[in-house]
Amino acid sequence: MKASILRSTFILGLTAFVATFALSHIKAITYPVIQKQERRKQENALALVLPGYTTGEERSAVVNGRSFTYWTAEKTDGTLTLKAYAFITEKTGYGGVIRTMTGVDDRGTVLGISIIRQSETPGLGARALETASRSTFFQVITGRARETAGEPSPWFQEQFAGLNAAAKIGIVKKGDWTEAMRDELLRENSISAITGATFTTKAVKDGIEEGMAALRMALDEHAKAQEAPAP
Amino acid sequence: MNYYREFAKGVWEKNPILILGIGMCPTLAVSTSVLNALWMTLAATFVLIFSNIIVSLVKSLVPSHIRIPIFIAIIATFVIIVELTLKAFQPDIYKSLGIFIPLIAVNCIILGRAEEFASKNAVLPSILDGLGMGLGFGLTLTVLAFFREILGSNRLFGYTLIPGMEPATIMTLAPGAFFTLAIMLWGMNAIKSRKRR
Repeated sequence: MKASILRSTFILGLTAFVATFALSHIKAITYPVIQKQERRKQENALALVLPGYTTGEERSAVVNGRSFTYWTAEKTDGTLTLKAYAFITEKTGYGGVIRTMTGVDDRGTVLGISIIRQSETPGLGARALETASRSTFFQVITGRARETAGEPSPWFQEQFAGLNAAAKIGIVKKGDWTEAMRDELLRENSISAITGATFTTKAVKDGIEEGMAALRMALDEHAKAQEAPAP
Repeated sequence: MNYYREFAKGVWEKNPILILGIGMCPTLAVSTSVLNALWMTLAATFVLIFSNIIVSLVKSLVPSHIRIPIFIAIIATFVIIVELTLKAFQPDIYKSLGIFIPLIAVNCIILGRAEEFASKNAVLPSILDGLGMGLGFGLTLTVLAFFREILGSNRLFGYTLIPGMEPATIMTLAPGAFFTLAIMLWGMNAIKSRKRR
């Protein structure tokens, strides 16, 4: 009996050791690649939400007791210098926290958004990331697909560009979005929900509204701090 | 031992989903699009084949009363390998499959085959068993996803089928998975009972 316990323990320990040893090597190979992917994701996200702008500094502030990170960006348009900001907000969706990066100009118009992390239901909320091609299946198999430059961007995130983040954003339950719907939705400051259930859509929308309010406060505080430097 | 039979049984005669009724959780969850289904198949089959190989190799060394934790440790190791590899090299796929990649570790097809087959057979038949079961799992998943993607999102491989048509969203939800699976089970049983007669 005693021998059997010792033997079992030894075998289990050995199994765990071999597994850990193998995984540590796999981790060593994949870790730098994963890190690079994450960094590229953030850079891509900044470029996506602030199209045409040059990212400036990264600032941290505390708004309503919560830490708030935002980036400044600038673009020169002729003689004018246009300012823009990007911020990250987290809101709980259906399957966990949804991390969204939003880019706004100084009038509060959304320049673009990018969902950085989410764990929504595949096929439902996760469709927020869906990059549906605008070509139809038959066009593709018959070779008549329009050659569009670059990758198709996720339709759900695309429709946020042009909205007024400082005002209330409405939700329309359509489950789809096409370029043709853009003007109509923009007139109502609305977005088309991903599915009939709006957990994910609402989380993203609320994140943007709250983030905008937080950005206002953070910018005010920053301006105040600049005016009255610490004695 | 008939090697072809060991391979082919997983596809039809002992199809893990339609006949054995195991591995339902990922089946219902990721069969919303054909691409998801194919990547899930690839990931699960990889784990299945390699865990079958290792289990078959160590079967005589493992005392029978601690075999389950050892099998799980072996399976979990391969699942993490798949997870890290996908995360590093296919981040988009990893994102869309989400939690169902780590959940392969508790997919009962894999533990089931380790316990039922690989722990009693040599390496080569175990590989064929894993391959066949993976193929059976994948075929079922792909057929399921094919109908669900067409009906539920009006798409195939991510491309829109009929522009402007409102899809039946219920097909991408859990009820749609049950409907489709039930029809597939019905079809399979109808064919089987006709054969028997």
